[in-house]
Amino acid sequence: MERKQTLETACRDFEEDLVLYYYGDGSEGERGRVEVHIRTCARCQRFLDDLRRLLPQMAQPESLPQSFWDGYYRETVAKLAAQRERSSWWRNLLTPMRAWAVPVFASAAVAVLAVGLLIGKGGWNAQSVGRRGNIPQEILTDASQLEFFSSMDVIELLPTLEALDGGKTESSAGRNG
Amino acid sequence: MDDQKPQELRDEELVALCQQGQGEYFDILVRKYMEKAFHIAFNFTRDKEEAKDLSQDAFLRAFSRIKQFDGRSTFYTWFYRLVVNLCLDYTRRKGRVRWQSLDAIVEENPERAELADSRRAPEQLAMAGEAKHRAESTLKSMPDKQRTAFLLRNHQGLPIADIAKVMKTTEATVRVYLHRAVAALRQSLLEFV
Repeated sequence: MERKQTLETACRDFEEDLVLYYYGDGSEGERGRVEVHIRTCARCQRFLDDLRRLLPQMAQPESLPQSFWDGYYRETVAKLAAQRERSSWWRNLLTPMRAWAVPVFASAAVAVLAVGLLIGKGGWNAQSVGRRGNIPQEILTDASQLEFFSSMDVIELLPTLEALDGGKTESSAGRNG
Repeated sequence: MDDQKPQELRDEELVALCQQGQGEYFDILVRKYMEKAFHIAFNFTRDKEEAKDLSQDAFLRAFSRIKQFDGRSTFYTWFYRLVVNLCLDYTRRKGRVRWQSLDAIVEENPERAELADSRRAPEQLAMAGEAKHRAESTLKSMPDKQRTAFLLRNHQGLPIADIAKVMKTTEATVRVYLHRAVAALRQSLLEFV
């Protein structure tokens, strides 16, 4: 109790080695160095004695009845079995499929792709029709005017056509005459 | 290997069998390490039920990851690492752990407690109880790494090299953690010496 007020520490250079020495760790050289030192250093000897008194008490495992461990084991094994069961369920599902899974999945993928393309194309067509339906009225009007002007082009060509037609008539009359 | 009883198989052999799909061999590893796993978890959580859940969870995780075990470390180092990581996650999640006395477990078995009591004088028991409480408080207030190093060395008896593997650090660092933890405990328990 006297030491409670004034904590005696071990020599600074040796404290870490003393802890290792207590646990039986450290190299032979380190252990030899500690052994030589504690023969002459009362503080370090007391430090080591304290460790020998205190630490084993703390290390004592809590004693639990065998029934606890039996229950623990049963419970853990049951949980593991359930985990194994879950993983084997997946494995069982996948294993028989392996032989024919590749062609089946490949065919299915091609079929889905084909259907998708067909539907997509239909949708695209419908979309393009829809797009036409959405053209503003002004533009449609302009378009009909363009058609009118193209018919005007034909009218402008009428004299040329008539001339061509007249020439053709004369030559045929000459041939007849 | 055929003549050997399953219980006599080495950890590495059991792991190899599990990796080959014979998961039932993992039960032997459970039997072998359940007490250690539980005690590590209890030292971190100070709660019997939490310790049970955490240590069982560690077994389940170890089993589900058994194919990832590459044999570069021993099974127990690998498994301890899983347990310790789960425990550290738990303490971080919980912040402050509910501190269940070690004696509370014995109280569940009064005949055992009675037997223990008859061997020691009441004042000795009171002192021992107080010392235990002080030690537990000191452990609780320690940084995670110091506590881990101390528990694995002092309570589990792991060599420093293995603790370094479990904690993924160097042996020199483990020595420092261990020294600091022991010095702190000694200081807090000196009046009980």
